[in-house]
Amino acid sequence: MNFRKELINHSLMTETIDQHQEGKRDVTFRVFRFNPQVDSKPYFDDYTISAERGITVLRSLNYIKEHVDATLSFRAFCQAGICGSCGMRVNGISKLACTSQVWEELDKCREPGIIKVEPLRSLPMIKDLIVDMDPLVDKMKRYSNWINSTMPLAEMGKKEFLVSEEEFHRYDKATDCILCASCVSECSILRANKEYVSPAVLLKSYRMNVDSRDSIHDVRLAELVKDHGVWDCTHCYRCQESCVKSIPIMEAIHAIREDALECRGPKDTSGAKHAEAFMEDIEKKGKLVEATLPIRTNGMVWTLRNLLPMAMKMIVKRRTPPPPPLVKSSKGIKIFRAMFREMTEHVKQDHQKSHKK
Amino acid sequence: MKRYAYYMSCINESMTKELDRSIDFWQKDLDLEFVKLHEGTCCGGSNLDYVSPKHFALVNARNIALAEKLGLDLIVSCNTCLMTIRTAKKKLDETPALKKEVNDILKQEGLEYRGTSEVRHLLWVLVDDVGLDTIKSKVKVPLKNYRIAPFYGCHILRPSTVLGRDNPLAPSSLDQLIEALGGQTIPFEHKNRCCGFHTLLVAEEESLNVAAEALEEAINAKADFIVTPCPLCHTVLDGYQSKALKQAHIDSSIPVFHISEMVGLALGYTAKQLGIKRHIVC
Repeated sequence: MNFRKELINHSLMTETIDQHQEGKRDVTFRVFRFNPQVDSKPYFDDYTISAERGITVLRSLNYIKEHVDATLSFRAFCQAGICGSCGMRVNGISKLACTSQVWEELDKCREPGIIKVEPLRSLPMIKDLIVDMDPLVDKMKRYSNWINSTMPLAEMGKKEFLVSEEEFHRYDKATDCILCASCVSECSILRANKEYVSPAVLLKSYRMNVDSRDSIHDVRLAELVKDHGVWDCTHCYRCQESCVKSIPIMEAIHAIREDALECRGPKDTSGAKHAEAFMEDIEKKGKLVEATLPIRTNGMVWTLRNLLPMAMKMIVKRRTPPPPPLVKSSKGIKIFRAMFREMTEHVKQDHQKSHKK
Repeated sequence: MKRYAYYMSCINESMTKELDRSIDFWQKDLDLEFVKLHEGTCCGGSNLDYVSPKHFALVNARNIALAEKLGLDLIVSCNTCLMTIRTAKKKLDETPALKKEVNDILKQEGLEYRGTSEVRHLLWVLVDDVGLDTIKSKVKVPLKNYRIAPFYGCHILRPSTVLGRDNPLAPSSLDQLIEALGGQTIPFEHKNRCCGFHTLLVAEEESLNVAAEALEEAINAKADFIVTPCPLCHTVLDGYQSKALKQAHIDSSIPVFHISEMVGLALGYTAKQLGIKRHIVC
């Protein structure tokens, strides 16, 4: 045992010495600076430090703050990818500074040897790399993202809530969220409209809505289907791709939509109508009937007001989608339809089974 | 001759017919044969998966099974169809019970989903199968002097657990194709961003803002045109371009090409043959 321990210690020491000798170089951090009390506009400061292989972006920023420029401001706490405080954009991508290796970032620099560090997007700036998280917190409140217990107050503390393993797995991944707001910063729709619910909030809503201990599912869902809610997600998957905990955020968003269609019906909102149209068309023709999709989603008045000028241009260029009678069904549609309907029966049976449960 | 099954996307049979027509011109030049799957159905367009996950699995198991019956890989030229069908394939391959349930139904048509055919994008066939050297050797009219902005779109990159061909943070396949055709690819921040297509009918203002950002960057970078591997991105960036730029108070315009048209131009076909005049902006 001792020999093995010694061997491991020796190899670790050799490795450290090797890294020290080979893995040290000057790295420039080009850091976004802005103090709204003093500066009329943001600017970048370059800090060049000698960095060792294995050092993180956060360690580098700490070094800069301690030894080079004490005015540099950023948030950080655990330094271990747990607390979610140090979300920022490193080389253009939102992530945690504490889990971002400088050496790996050097391969991604647009200008060789210069790592760009900027604050998260889509949240108000406070100073340098610090953004205001309040809008995110406000949205968590707006969508009631907490458990409102089904247990009467009198029974609290006297009885246990039993959660099945199956139920736990439904929200297990979602509870990994550390609210670092990387997904918020990368979201395409939030960038276009700050009112949008945002991916982290949708993920949390999903997590609460599938919890059997919660009593306000319907209230939350009613809020989620309103304007700037779940139907405004444009499926770009940037949230999921940037998630520092690899949470499949889009699955949660899709699950809220599936739930909305089931609980509120397919005619509830334009988003629901739009989604349902795919199901209808595939069953009928095997193909999407694009010409009537805007009408089925938003009605005739909206379509005429919003799309008529473009439709005229498309007619001139002969690129309008064909009207429904001219949409050719897929070859072999009859047997396809029969199979599609057989699956509908399977789904009905599944629903009956799950309701019985 | 390399043979593939070709998935016919709904939009390429309606609004962007020029995409498939362009392929018909040059497929033989590159020693390719695309067998069109007329029996294929709509993939569900990134919507059916939550409207009804089981129908989504059935429909796309069938789309893939049609290619498997021919013993060919399934080639897709729309990013969203690609992502959608690959997502279904992943689910089917990872869930034996679902695969069995779907196959029990597919029997009626004499089909079986086995998971043997790959589902790939047209761009990947060009870059990985035909190869950049072969493409270079076939070019008749190099796209030199053209500054081209490569717009990859989302669903050829993300989710990377489903797509996986390009690095979603720094994709390169489309840049490589442009360069093989003699064009000059420009640095383009929006190359891996979104076009806003999927919310055009439910959150139009937001979608147009998203599109305008990409268009503005290409215009400011003085690109001659944008090229995209996705007909949905094309529809927003070309069809909705004037509306998007008007909303963003930008008084300019920029043509947007499909990759099939860009390849056709370099292989010596005319803009008229390739249907480029059908674009809203040309």
